[in-house]
Amino acid sequence: MSELTVHDLHAGYGGAQVLHGVSLTVGEGEICAILGPNGAGKTTLLRALSGMVKGRGSVRLDGAELLGRPPDALARLGVAHVPEGRGTFTQLTVEENLRLGAYVRRSGVEDDLERIYTYFPALKPRLRQAAGSLSGGEQQMLALGRALMLRPRLLLLDEPSLGLAPLVTRELFHIVRAVNEQERTTVVVVEQNAHLALGVAQQAHVLETGRIVLSGTAADIRADEQVAQSYLGYRV
Amino acid sequence: MSESTQVSDRTTAREQAPARPAATRWRWAAAAALLAAAVYAPFQLVPFHVFQLTMVLIYAVALLGLNLLVGHAGQISLGHGAFFAVGAYTAAILLDRWDAPYPLTLPAAALVAFVLGLAFGVPAMRLRGLYLALVTLAIAIFLVPLLKRFEEVTGGSMGLSLAKPAPPAWSGLAEDQWLYFLALAVTVAAFLLAASLLRSRVGRALHAVRDDEAAAEVMGVRPAYYKTLAFAWSAMFAGIAGCLYTWVIGFVSPDSFVVNLSITLLAGLVVGGLGSLSGPVLGALFVMFVPSISQDINEAAPGVIFGLLIIAVMYVAPTGLAGLAGRAANSIKKTLRKG
Repeated sequence: MSELTVHDLHAGYGGAQVLHGVSLTVGEGEICAILGPNGAGKTTLLRALSGMVKGRGSVRLDGAELLGRPPDALARLGVAHVPEGRGTFTQLTVEENLRLGAYVRRSGVEDDLERIYTYFPALKPRLRQAAGSLSGGEQQMLALGRALMLRPRLLLLDEPSLGLAPLVTRELFHIVRAVNEQERTTVVVVEQNAHLALGVAQQAHVLETGRIVLSGTAADIRADEQVAQSYLGYRV
Repeated sequence: MSESTQVSDRTTAREQAPARPAATRWRWAAAAALLAAAVYAPFQLVPFHVFQLTMVLIYAVALLGLNLLVGHAGQISLGHGAFFAVGAYTAAILLDRWDAPYPLTLPAAALVAFVLGLAFGVPAMRLRGLYLALVTLAIAIFLVPLLKRFEEVTGGSMGLSLAKPAPPAWSGLAEDQWLYFLALAVTVAAFLLAASLLRSRVGRALHAVRDDEAAAEVMGVRPAYYKTLAFAWSAMFAGIAGCLYTWVIGFVSPDSFVVNLSITLLAGLVVGGLGSLSGPVLGALFVMFVPSISQDINEAAPGVIFGLLIIAVMYVAPTGLAGLAGRAANSIKKTLRKG
Protein backbone atom coordinates (compact mmCIF):
# COMPACT_ATOMS: atom_id res chain seq x y z
CA MET A 1 0.00 0.00 0.00
CA SER A 2 2.88 2.31 0.65
CA GLU A 3 6.36 3.02 -0.55
CA LEU A 4 9.26 2.93 1.86
CA THR A 5 12.43 4.87 1.14
CA VAL A 6 15.43 4.53 3.42
CA HIS A 7 18.35 6.84 2.76
CA ASP A 8 21.77 6.77 4.43
CA LEU A 9 20.42 5.35 7.68
CA HIS A 10 22.80 5.23 10.64
CA ALA A 11 21.66 3.66 13.89
CA GLY A 12 23.01 1.96 16.97
CA TYR A 13 22.82 1.55 20.71
CA GLY A 14 24.47 4.16 22.88
CA GLY A 15 28.01 4.51 21.59
CA ALA A 16 27.94 1.38 19.45
CA GLN A 17 27.12 2.17 15.86
CA VAL A 18 25.45 -0.78 14.12
CA LEU A 19 24.14 0.56 10.83
CA HIS A 20 26.55 2.56 8.66
CA GLY A 21 24.50 4.25 5.99
CA VAL A 22 21.87 1.85 4.74
CA SER A 23 19.82 2.91 1.71
CA LEU A 24 17.02 0.96 0.11
CA THR A 25 13.62 1.39 -1.46
CA VAL A 26 10.68 -0.95 -1.15
CA GLY A 27 7.94 -0.37 -3.68
CA GLU A 28 4.27 -0.24 -2.89
CA GLY A 29 2.93 -3.68 -2.06
CA GLU A 30 6.34 -5.33 -2.37
CA ILE A 31 8.00 -7.81 -0.07
CA CYS A 32 11.63 -7.04 0.65
CA ALA A 33 13.88 -9.61 2.31
CA ILE A 34 16.85 -8.54 4.43
CA LEU A 35 19.42 -11.33 4.63
CA GLY A 36 22.77 -11.62 6.25
CA PRO A 37 24.74 -13.26 9.01
CA ASN A 38 24.21 -12.80 12.75
CA GLY A 39 25.22 -9.39 14.01
CA ALA A 40 24.92 -7.77 10.59
CA GLY A 41 22.38 -5.26 11.88
CA LYS A 42 19.18 -6.77 10.45
CA THR A 43 17.20 -6.45 13.68
CA THR A 44 18.59 -2.99 14.30
CA LEU A 45 17.41 -1.94 10.86
CA LEU A 46 13.85 -3.02 11.63
CA ARG A 47 14.01 -1.37 15.05
CA ALA A 48 15.11 1.88 13.48
CA LEU A 49 12.20 1.64 11.02
CA SER A 50 9.69 1.22 13.87
CA GLY A 51 11.27 3.84 16.14
CA MET A 52 12.58 1.43 18.75
CA VAL A 53 16.11 2.69 18.25
CA LYS A 54 17.08 6.19 17.21
CA GLY A 55 18.64 6.70 13.82
CA ARG A 56 20.17 9.36 11.60
CA GLY A 57 19.49 9.76 7.93
CA SER A 58 16.07 9.47 6.43
CA VAL A 59 13.25 6.94 6.48
CA ARG A 60 10.18 7.94 4.50
CA LEU A 61 6.87 6.18 4.12
CA ASP A 62 4.99 7.71 1.20
CA GLY A 63 7.12 10.79 1.63
CA ALA A 64 6.46 11.29 5.35
CA GLU A 65 9.60 11.25 7.52
CA LEU A 66 9.50 8.48 10.13
CA LEU A 67 12.82 9.09 11.91
CA GLY A 68 12.67 10.93 15.19
CA ARG A 69 9.16 9.80 16.08
CA PRO A 70 8.48 7.47 19.01
CA PRO A 71 7.22 3.93 18.32
CA ASP A 72 3.64 4.68 19.35
CA ALA A 73 3.47 7.56 16.87
CA LEU A 74 4.75 5.30 14.11
CA ALA A 75 2.13 2.71 15.02
CA ARG A 76 -0.47 5.41 14.44
CA LEU A 77 1.06 6.05 11.02
CA GLY A 78 0.59 2.37 10.16
CA VAL A 79 3.96 0.80 10.89
CA ALA A 80 3.49 -2.65 12.45
CA HIS A 81 6.51 -4.42 13.87
CA VAL A 82 6.50 -8.09 14.77
CA PRO A 83 9.52 -8.11 17.06
CA GLU A 84 12.11 -10.81 17.39
CA GLY A 85 10.81 -13.32 19.94
CA ARG A 86 7.23 -12.37 19.01
CA GLY A 87 6.45 -10.08 21.95
CA THR A 88 3.45 -12.14 23.01
CA PHE A 89 1.50 -10.76 25.96
CA THR A 90 1.62 -14.12 27.66
CA GLN A 91 -0.84 -13.44 30.45
CA LEU A 92 -3.51 -11.99 28.18
CA THR A 93 -5.87 -14.13 26.15
CA VAL A 94 -5.40 -14.65 22.43
CA GLU A 95 -8.33 -12.36 21.74
CA GLU A 96 -6.99 -9.64 24.02
CA ASN A 97 -3.65 -9.83 22.19
CA LEU A 98 -5.41 -9.38 18.87
CA ARG A 99 -7.51 -6.49 20.16
CA LEU A 100 -4.35 -4.79 21.39
CA GLY A 101 -3.10 -4.90 17.84
CA ALA A 102 -5.93 -2.55 16.94
CA TYR A 103 -5.16 -0.31 19.90
CA VAL A 104 -4.67 2.78 17.75
CA ARG A 105 -7.99 2.30 15.95
CA ARG A 106 -11.49 2.13 17.30
CA SER A 107 -13.67 1.31 14.31
CA GLY A 108 -13.95 -1.91 12.35
CA VAL A 109 -12.19 -3.98 15.00
CA GLU A 110 -14.80 -6.78 14.99
CA ASP A 111 -14.59 -7.15 11.20
CA ASP A 112 -10.82 -7.24 11.39
CA LEU A 113 -10.94 -10.00 14.00
CA GLU A 114 -12.99 -12.10 11.59
CA ARG A 115 -10.50 -11.34 8.84
CA ILE A 116 -7.65 -12.54 11.05
CA TYR A 117 -9.49 -15.80 11.77
CA THR A 118 -9.73 -16.49 8.05
CA TYR A 119 -5.94 -16.18 7.78
CA PHE A 120 -5.32 -18.08 11.01
CA PRO A 121 -8.17 -20.52 11.61
CA ALA A 122 -6.04 -22.26 14.25
CA LEU A 123 -6.37 -19.24 16.54
CA LYS A 124 -10.15 -19.19 16.64
CA PRO A 125 -10.74 -22.11 19.05
CA ARG A 126 -8.06 -20.66 21.34
CA LEU A 127 -9.41 -17.13 21.66
CA ARG A 128 -10.00 -17.28 25.40
CA GLN A 129 -6.81 -19.15 26.16
CA ALA A 130 -3.84 -17.39 27.71
CA ALA A 131 -1.50 -16.52 24.84
CA GLY A 132 1.46 -17.88 26.80
CA SER A 133 -0.04 -21.37 26.56
CA LEU A 134 0.17 -21.42 22.76
CA SER A 135 2.90 -23.29 20.92
CA GLY A 136 5.74 -21.33 19.36
CA GLY A 137 4.18 -21.55 15.92
CA GLU A 138 0.80 -20.42 17.17
CA GLN A 139 2.42 -17.53 19.02
CA GLN A 140 4.14 -16.44 15.83
CA MET A 141 0.80 -16.61 14.01
CA LEU A 142 -0.72 -14.58 16.82
CA ALA A 143 2.05 -12.00 16.58
CA LEU A 144 1.48 -11.70 12.85
CA GLY A 145 -2.29 -11.54 13.29
CA ARG A 146 -1.89 -8.90 15.97
CA ALA A 147 0.27 -6.80 13.65
CA LEU A 148 -2.36 -7.12 10.90
CA MET A 149 -5.00 -5.80 13.31
CA LEU A 150 -3.24 -2.46 12.96
CA ARG A 151 -4.14 -2.48 9.23
CA PRO A 152 -0.50 -1.70 8.56
CA ARG A 153 0.80 0.23 5.59
CA LEU A 154 4.21 -1.18 6.39
CA LEU A 155 4.71 -4.57 8.03
CA LEU A 156 8.09 -5.38 9.61
CA LEU A 157 8.80 -9.03 10.39
CA ASP A 158 11.84 -9.99 12.45
CA GLU A 159 12.96 -13.60 12.06
CA PRO A 160 9.50 -15.15 11.84
CA SER A 161 11.02 -18.61 11.45
CA LEU A 162 13.03 -18.44 14.69
CA GLY A 163 12.62 -21.62 16.69
CA LEU A 164 9.81 -22.99 14.53
CA ALA A 165 9.44 -26.35 12.81
CA PRO A 166 10.10 -26.19 9.04
CA LEU A 167 6.52 -27.04 8.20
CA VAL A 168 5.14 -24.30 10.43
CA THR A 169 7.62 -21.81 8.99
CA ARG A 170 6.52 -22.63 5.47
CA GLU A 171 2.89 -22.14 6.40
CA LEU A 172 3.74 -18.82 7.99
CA PHE A 173 5.48 -17.52 4.88
CA HIS A 174 2.57 -18.74 2.84
CA ILE A 175 0.27 -16.55 4.94
CA VAL A 176 2.65 -13.59 4.68
CA ARG A 177 2.46 -13.83 0.93
CA ALA A 178 -1.34 -14.20 0.99
CA VAL A 179 -1.64 -11.11 3.17
CA ASN A 180 0.70 -9.19 0.92
CA GLU A 181 -1.27 -10.16 -2.19
CA GLN A 182 -4.69 -9.47 -0.72
CA GLU A 183 -4.01 -6.32 1.23
CA ARG A 184 -1.13 -4.91 -0.84
CA THR A 185 0.79 -4.37 2.41
CA THR A 186 4.41 -3.42 1.98
CA VAL A 187 6.55 -5.91 3.89
CA VAL A 188 10.15 -5.91 5.10
CA VAL A 189 11.17 -9.31 6.41
CA VAL A 190 14.44 -10.10 8.17
CA GLU A 191 15.24 -13.76 7.93
CA GLN A 192 18.02 -16.26 8.52
CA ASN A 193 16.30 -18.81 6.36
CA ALA A 194 17.23 -17.17 3.07
CA HIS A 195 15.65 -19.85 0.96
CA LEU A 196 12.20 -19.25 2.40
CA ALA A 197 12.49 -15.48 2.43
CA LEU A 198 13.63 -15.34 -1.19
CA GLY A 199 10.68 -17.56 -2.05
CA VAL A 200 8.17 -14.88 -1.13
CA ALA A 201 10.13 -11.66 -1.69
CA GLN A 202 10.37 -9.63 -4.88
CA GLN A 203 13.66 -8.06 -3.90
CA ALA A 204 16.38 -8.74 -1.37
CA HIS A 205 19.33 -7.02 0.26
CA VAL A 206 22.24 -8.69 1.93
CA LEU A 207 23.46 -6.85 5.00
CA GLU A 208 26.91 -7.33 6.45
CA THR A 209 28.39 -5.43 9.41
CA GLY A 210 25.87 -2.64 9.03
CA ARG A 211 26.20 -2.09 5.29
CA ILE A 212 24.28 -3.39 2.31
CA VAL A 213 26.76 -5.44 0.33
CA LEU A 214 24.39 -6.78 -2.28
CA SER A 215 20.97 -5.89 -3.65
CA GLY A 216 18.83 -7.33 -6.35
CA THR A 217 15.66 -9.11 -7.24
CA ALA A 218 14.97 -12.18 -5.20
CA ALA A 219 15.45 -14.32 -8.29
CA ASP A 220 18.88 -12.78 -9.02
CA ILE A 221 20.14 -13.31 -5.54
CA ARG A 222 18.83 -16.81 -5.44
CA ALA A 223 20.48 -17.60 -8.74
CA ASP A 224 23.86 -16.24 -7.71
CA GLU A 225 25.46 -19.31 -6.29
CA GLN A 226 28.60 -17.60 -5.18
CA VAL A 227 26.56 -15.09 -3.26
CA ALA A 228 24.70 -17.86 -1.63
CA GLN A 229 27.90 -19.47 -0.51
CA SER A 230 29.77 -16.43 0.68
CA TYR A 231 26.96 -14.42 2.24
CA LEU A 232 24.27 -16.85 3.09
CA GLY A 233 26.52 -19.68 4.15
CA TYR A 234 24.93 -22.48 2.21
CA ARG A 235 24.19 -23.76 -1.27
CA VAL A 236 20.78 -22.84 -2.61
CA MET B 1 -24.23 -39.57 8.63
CA SER B 2 -22.39 -36.49 7.48
CA GLU B 3 -24.93 -34.40 9.33
CA SER B 4 -24.22 -36.09 12.63
CA THR B 5 -20.48 -35.57 12.23
CA GLN B 6 -21.09 -31.91 11.57
CA VAL B 7 -23.21 -31.58 14.67
CA SER B 8 -20.61 -33.25 16.84
CA ASP B 9 -17.93 -31.02 15.34
CA ARG B 10 -19.94 -28.01 16.26
CA THR B 11 -20.44 -29.18 19.82
CA THR B 12 -16.73 -29.69 20.35
CA ALA B 13 -16.04 -26.22 19.01
CA ARG B 14 -18.67 -24.81 21.31
CA GLU B 15 -17.29 -26.67 24.27
CA GLN B 16 -13.79 -25.47 23.59
CA ALA B 17 -14.46 -21.78 23.12
CA PRO B 18 -16.77 -20.83 26.00
CA ALA B 19 -14.73 -22.57 28.69
CA ARG B 20 -14.24 -19.11 30.22
CA PRO B 21 -17.89 -17.98 30.38
CA ALA B 22 -18.63 -21.01 32.59
CA ALA B 23 -15.82 -19.91 34.90
CA THR B 24 -17.17 -16.37 34.78
CA ARG B 25 -20.59 -17.64 35.88
CA TRP B 26 -18.95 -19.40 38.80
CA ARG B 27 -17.11 -16.25 39.70
CA TRP B 28 -20.29 -14.18 39.64
CA ALA B 29 -22.02 -16.78 41.79
CA ALA B 30 -19.15 -16.68 44.27
CA ALA B 31 -19.20 -12.88 44.34
CA ALA B 32 -22.95 -12.84 44.91
CA ALA B 33 -22.67 -15.38 47.74
CA LEU B 34 -19.87 -13.35 49.30
CA LEU B 35 -21.92 -10.17 49.06
CA ALA B 36 -24.95 -11.87 50.62
CA ALA B 37 -22.79 -13.09 53.48
CA ALA B 38 -21.29 -9.59 53.83
CA VAL B 39 -24.76 -8.05 54.12
CA TYR B 40 -25.92 -10.70 56.59
CA ALA B 41 -22.82 -10.71 58.79
CA PRO B 42 -23.22 -7.43 60.78
CA PHE B 43 -26.59 -8.60 62.13
CA GLN B 44 -25.01 -11.72 63.58
CA LEU B 45 -21.76 -10.40 65.02
CA VAL B 46 -20.84 -8.42 68.10
CA PRO B 47 -19.85 -4.77 67.43
CA PHE B 48 -16.11 -5.45 67.77
CA HIS B 49 -16.21 -8.10 65.06
CA VAL B 50 -18.30 -5.81 62.86
CA PHE B 51 -15.60 -3.19 63.34
CA GLN B 52 -12.93 -5.72 62.35
CA LEU B 53 -14.84 -6.60 59.18
CA THR B 54 -15.17 -2.89 58.40
CA MET B 55 -11.39 -2.61 58.64
CA VAL B 56 -11.07 -5.57 56.28
CA LEU B 57 -13.18 -3.68 53.73
CA ILE B 58 -11.00 -0.59 54.12
CA TYR B 59 -7.82 -2.60 53.61
CA ALA B 60 -9.44 -4.34 50.64
CA VAL B 61 -10.04 -1.00 48.90
CA ALA B 62 -6.44 0.08 49.54
CA LEU B 63 -5.11 -3.26 48.30
CA LEU B 64 -7.37 -3.07 45.26
CA GLY B 65 -5.65 0.18 44.37
CA LEU B 66 -2.19 -1.14 45.05
CA ASN B 67 -3.05 -4.16 42.93
CA LEU B 68 -3.74 -1.92 39.92
CA LEU B 69 -0.20 -0.65 40.19
CA VAL B 70 1.69 -3.78 41.25
CA GLY B 71 -0.43 -6.63 39.90
CA HIS B 72 -1.72 -5.07 36.69
CA ALA B 73 0.84 -2.46 35.71
CA GLY B 74 3.86 -4.38 37.02
CA GLN B 75 5.24 -1.47 39.06
CA ILE B 76 5.99 -1.29 42.76
CA SER B 77 5.18 1.09 45.59
CA LEU B 78 6.52 1.01 49.10
CA GLY B 79 4.74 4.26 49.85
CA HIS B 80 1.06 3.63 49.45
CA GLY B 81 0.46 4.20 53.15
CA ALA B 82 1.19 7.84 52.36
CA PHE B 83 -1.72 8.08 49.91
CA PHE B 84 -3.90 6.27 52.43
CA ALA B 85 -2.90 8.94 54.95
CA VAL B 86 -3.55 11.73 52.45
CA GLY B 87 -7.10 10.46 51.97
CA ALA B 88 -7.60 10.10 55.70
CA TYR B 89 -6.29 13.59 56.44
CA THR B 90 -8.20 15.20 53.58
CA ALA B 91 -11.43 13.83 55.02
CA ALA B 92 -10.43 14.70 58.59
CA ILE B 93 -9.44 18.28 57.80
CA LEU B 94 -12.61 18.88 55.76
CA LEU B 95 -14.70 17.58 58.65
CA ASP B 96 -12.69 19.36 61.34
CA ARG B 97 -12.25 22.77 59.74
CA TRP B 98 -15.24 23.23 57.48
CA ASP B 99 -17.77 20.84 58.98
CA ALA B 100 -18.14 19.36 55.52
CA PRO B 101 -20.90 16.78 55.08
CA TYR B 102 -19.54 13.22 55.10
CA PRO B 103 -20.47 12.21 51.57
CA LEU B 104 -18.47 15.15 50.24
CA THR B 105 -15.23 14.05 51.91
CA LEU B 106 -15.09 10.87 49.84
CA PRO B 107 -14.73 12.42 46.35
CA ALA B 108 -12.49 15.11 47.87
CA ALA B 109 -10.15 12.51 49.37
CA ALA B 110 -10.18 10.55 46.09
CA LEU B 111 -9.37 13.65 44.08
CA VAL B 112 -6.55 14.89 46.31
CA ALA B 113 -4.94 11.44 46.38
CA PHE B 114 -5.33 11.11 42.60
CA VAL B 115 -3.71 14.47 41.92
CA LEU B 116 -0.84 13.74 44.31
CA GLY B 117 -0.46 10.30 42.74
CA LEU B 118 -0.22 11.95 39.35
CA ALA B 119 2.29 14.51 40.62
CA PHE B 120 4.53 11.78 42.06
CA GLY B 121 3.77 9.37 39.25
CA VAL B 122 5.15 11.53 36.45
CA PRO B 123 8.75 11.55 37.74
CA ALA B 124 8.55 8.20 39.57
CA MET B 125 7.47 6.24 36.50
CA ARG B 126 10.74 7.03 34.79
CA LEU B 127 12.27 4.69 37.34
CA ARG B 128 11.92 0.96 37.68
CA GLY B 129 12.27 -1.82 40.16
CA LEU B 130 14.48 -1.05 43.11
CA TYR B 131 14.85 2.64 42.24
CA LEU B 132 11.10 3.06 42.13
CA ALA B 133 10.78 1.15 45.39
CA LEU B 134 13.23 3.53 47.07
CA VAL B 135 11.56 6.70 45.80
CA THR B 136 8.10 5.53 46.88
CA LEU B 137 9.52 4.49 50.25
CA ALA B 138 10.84 8.03 50.63
CA ILE B 139 7.30 9.38 50.14
CA ALA B 140 6.12 7.26 53.05
CA ILE B 141 9.07 8.29 55.21
CA PHE B 142 8.79 12.05 54.82
CA LEU B 143 5.02 12.10 55.28
CA VAL B 144 4.97 11.64 59.06
CA PRO B 145 7.28 14.57 59.92
CA LEU B 146 5.40 16.64 57.36
CA LEU B 147 2.09 15.96 59.09
CA LYS B 148 3.61 16.88 62.44
CA ARG B 149 5.11 20.06 61.04
CA PHE B 150 1.87 21.70 59.84
CA GLU B 151 0.26 21.56 63.21
CA GLU B 152 -2.47 24.21 62.72
CA VAL B 153 -4.06 22.17 59.94
CA THR B 154 -3.21 18.60 60.84
CA GLY B 155 -3.34 18.82 64.61
CA GLY B 156 0.36 17.84 64.78
CA SER B 157 1.33 14.82 66.83
CA MET B 158 -1.96 15.00 68.71
CA GLY B 159 -3.91 14.37 65.55
CA LEU B 160 -7.53 15.24 64.94
CA SER B 161 -10.55 13.73 66.68
CA LEU B 162 -13.82 13.72 64.79
CA ALA B 163 -17.38 12.57 65.23
CA LYS B 164 -18.20 9.44 63.25
CA PRO B 165 -21.06 9.47 60.74
CA ALA B 166 -24.25 8.84 62.73
CA PRO B 167 -26.71 6.27 61.41
CA PRO B 168 -29.88 7.94 60.12
CA ALA B 169 -32.97 7.13 62.17
CA TRP B 170 -34.79 5.40 59.27
CA SER B 171 -32.09 2.76 58.97
CA GLY B 172 -32.57 1.43 62.50
CA LEU B 173 -28.89 0.43 62.48
CA ALA B 174 -26.37 0.74 65.28
CA GLU B 175 -23.33 2.93 64.63
CA ASP B 176 -20.96 0.06 63.94
CA GLN B 177 -23.44 -1.48 61.49
CA TRP B 178 -24.00 1.81 59.71
CA LEU B 179 -20.25 2.39 59.31
CA TYR B 180 -19.90 -1.15 58.06
CA PHE B 181 -22.54 -0.66 55.39
CA LEU B 182 -21.04 2.66 54.30
CA ALA B 183 -17.69 0.93 53.89
CA LEU B 184 -19.33 -2.02 52.11
CA ALA B 185 -21.10 0.24 49.62
CA VAL B 186 -17.88 2.08 48.81
CA THR B 187 -15.95 -1.20 48.55
CA VAL B 188 -18.44 -2.75 46.15
CA ALA B 189 -18.44 0.40 44.02
CA ALA B 190 -14.62 0.44 44.02
CA PHE B 191 -14.42 -3.20 42.93
CA LEU B 192 -16.97 -2.70 40.15
CA LEU B 193 -15.06 0.35 38.96
CA ALA B 194 -11.74 -1.48 38.96
CA ALA B 195 -13.23 -4.54 37.25
CA SER B 196 -14.78 -2.52 34.43
CA LEU B 197 -11.59 -0.52 34.06
CA LEU B 198 -9.51 -3.67 33.69
CA ARG B 199 -11.88 -5.23 31.17
CA SER B 200 -11.71 -2.18 28.91
CA ARG B 201 -9.19 -1.17 26.27
CA VAL B 202 -7.33 0.66 29.03
CA GLY B 203 -6.99 -2.54 31.05
CA ARG B 204 -5.61 -4.41 28.06
CA ALA B 205 -3.08 -1.66 27.45
CA LEU B 206 -2.03 -1.78 31.10
CA HIS B 207 -1.48 -5.53 30.94
CA ALA B 208 0.38 -5.20 27.66
CA VAL B 209 2.83 -2.75 29.23
CA ARG B 210 3.34 -5.14 32.14
CA ASP B 211 3.92 -8.19 29.92
CA ASP B 212 6.17 -6.66 27.25
CA GLU B 213 6.77 -2.95 27.25
CA ALA B 214 8.58 -2.78 23.91
CA ALA B 215 5.95 -4.84 22.12
CA ALA B 216 3.21 -2.67 23.60
CA GLU B 217 4.96 0.44 22.40
CA VAL B 218 5.21 -0.66 18.78
CA MET B 219 1.46 -1.22 18.88
CA GLY B 220 0.89 2.38 19.80
CA VAL B 221 0.51 2.01 23.58
CA ARG B 222 2.48 4.66 25.49
CA PRO B 223 4.00 2.92 28.52
CA ALA B 224 4.82 6.10 30.46
CA TYR B 225 1.24 7.31 30.15
CA TYR B 226 -0.26 4.09 31.46
CA LYS B 227 2.24 3.63 34.26
CA THR B 228 1.61 7.15 35.49
CA LEU B 229 -2.13 6.70 35.23
CA ALA B 230 -1.93 3.41 37.12
CA PHE B 231 0.04 5.13 39.85
CA ALA B 232 -2.56 7.90 40.12
CA TRP B 233 -5.47 5.47 40.15
CA SER B 234 -3.91 3.31 42.78
CA ALA B 235 -3.20 6.42 44.87
CA MET B 236 -6.85 7.37 44.42
CA PHE B 237 -8.10 4.03 45.75
CA ALA B 238 -5.69 4.30 48.69
CA GLY B 239 -7.10 7.78 49.34
CA ILE B 240 -10.65 6.45 49.28
CA ALA B 241 -9.65 3.78 51.78
CA GLY B 242 -8.05 6.46 53.94
CA CYS B 243 -11.27 8.48 53.91
CA LEU B 244 -13.23 5.40 55.04
CA TYR B 245 -10.67 4.95 57.78
CA THR B 246 -11.34 8.46 59.07
CA TRP B 247 -15.09 7.83 59.05
CA VAL B 248 -14.75 4.58 60.93
CA ILE B 249 -12.04 5.43 63.46
CA GLY B 250 -12.99 9.05 63.99
CA PHE B 251 -9.38 9.92 64.69
CA VAL B 252 -6.24 10.54 62.64
CA SER B 253 -2.70 11.03 63.84
CA PRO B 254 0.69 10.84 62.13
CA ASP B 255 1.56 7.71 64.06
CA SER B 256 -1.32 5.81 62.44
CA PHE B 257 0.42 6.10 59.08
CA VAL B 258 4.03 5.19 59.68
CA VAL B 259 6.12 3.42 57.02
CA ASN B 260 4.99 0.10 58.43
CA LEU B 261 1.53 0.67 56.95
CA SER B 262 2.98 0.86 53.43
CA ILE B 263 4.98 -2.31 53.94
CA THR B 264 1.97 -4.10 55.42
CA LEU B 265 -0.15 -3.11 52.44
CA LEU B 266 2.38 -4.46 49.96
CA ALA B 267 2.86 -7.65 51.98
CA GLY B 268 -0.91 -8.09 52.21
CA LEU B 269 -1.29 -7.73 48.47
CA VAL B 270 1.45 -10.20 47.64
CA VAL B 271 0.11 -12.72 50.14
CA GLY B 272 -3.44 -12.23 48.84
CA GLY B 273 -2.42 -12.64 45.23
CA LEU B 274 -1.31 -10.18 42.55
CA GLY B 275 -3.40 -9.37 39.54
CA SER B 276 -6.68 -10.93 40.63
CA LEU B 277 -9.79 -9.33 42.04
CA SER B 278 -10.06 -11.75 44.96
CA GLY B 279 -6.42 -11.16 45.97
CA PRO B 280 -7.07 -7.81 47.69
CA VAL B 281 -9.95 -9.31 49.73
CA LEU B 282 -7.89 -12.28 50.86
CA GLY B 283 -4.92 -10.00 51.53
CA ALA B 284 -7.11 -7.69 53.60
CA LEU B 285 -8.35 -10.61 55.70
CA PHE B 286 -4.73 -11.67 56.21
CA VAL B 287 -3.54 -8.20 57.19
CA MET B 288 -6.47 -7.73 59.57
CA PHE B 289 -6.61 -11.07 61.34
CA VAL B 290 -3.19 -12.68 61.14
CA PRO B 291 -1.45 -10.15 63.45
CA SER B 292 -3.98 -10.86 66.21
CA ILE B 293 -3.69 -14.60 65.60
CA SER B 294 0.10 -14.24 65.88
CA GLN B 295 -0.45 -12.45 69.16
CA ASP B 296 -2.44 -15.44 70.41
CA ILE B 297 0.25 -17.87 69.31
CA ASN B 298 3.10 -16.05 70.98
CA GLU B 299 2.54 -12.88 72.93
CA ALA B 300 6.21 -12.04 73.16
CA ALA B 301 6.91 -11.83 69.44
CA PRO B 302 3.79 -11.38 67.29
CA GLY B 303 5.93 -9.70 64.59
CA VAL B 304 8.08 -12.80 64.23
CA ILE B 305 5.06 -15.07 63.93
CA PHE B 306 3.45 -12.70 61.40
CA GLY B 307 6.64 -12.73 59.34
CA LEU B 308 6.93 -16.48 59.51
CA LEU B 309 3.31 -16.85 58.41
CA ILE B 310 3.96 -14.63 55.39
CA ILE B 311 6.94 -16.79 54.47
CA ALA B 312 4.86 -19.93 54.95
CA VAL B 313 2.07 -18.64 52.68
CA MET B 314 4.52 -17.63 49.98
CA TYR B 315 6.17 -21.03 50.18
CA VAL B 316 2.90 -22.96 49.88
CA ALA B 317 1.25 -20.53 47.46
CA PRO B 318 3.76 -18.55 45.42
CA THR B 319 0.89 -16.90 43.53
CA GLY B 320 -0.77 -15.85 46.75
CA LEU B 321 -3.92 -17.02 48.49
CA ALA B 322 -6.01 -16.15 45.42
CA GLY B 323 -3.88 -18.50 43.31
CA LEU B 324 -4.21 -21.20 45.94
CA ALA B 325 -8.00 -20.77 46.03
CA GLY B 326 -8.13 -20.91 42.22
CA ARG B 327 -6.13 -24.14 42.16
CA ALA B 328 -8.35 -25.65 44.84
CA ALA B 329 -11.49 -24.69 42.89
CA ASN B 330 -10.05 -26.24 39.73
CA SER B 331 -9.21 -29.52 41.39
CA ILE B 332 -12.68 -29.66 42.99
CA LYS B 333 -14.23 -29.07 39.57
CA LYS B 334 -12.07 -31.82 38.07
CA THR B 335 -13.06 -34.25 40.81
CA LEU B 336 -16.73 -33.41 40.27
CA ARG B 337 -16.41 -33.93 36.52
CA LYS B 338 -14.77 -37.32 37.01
CA GLY B 339 -17.34 -38.42 39.59
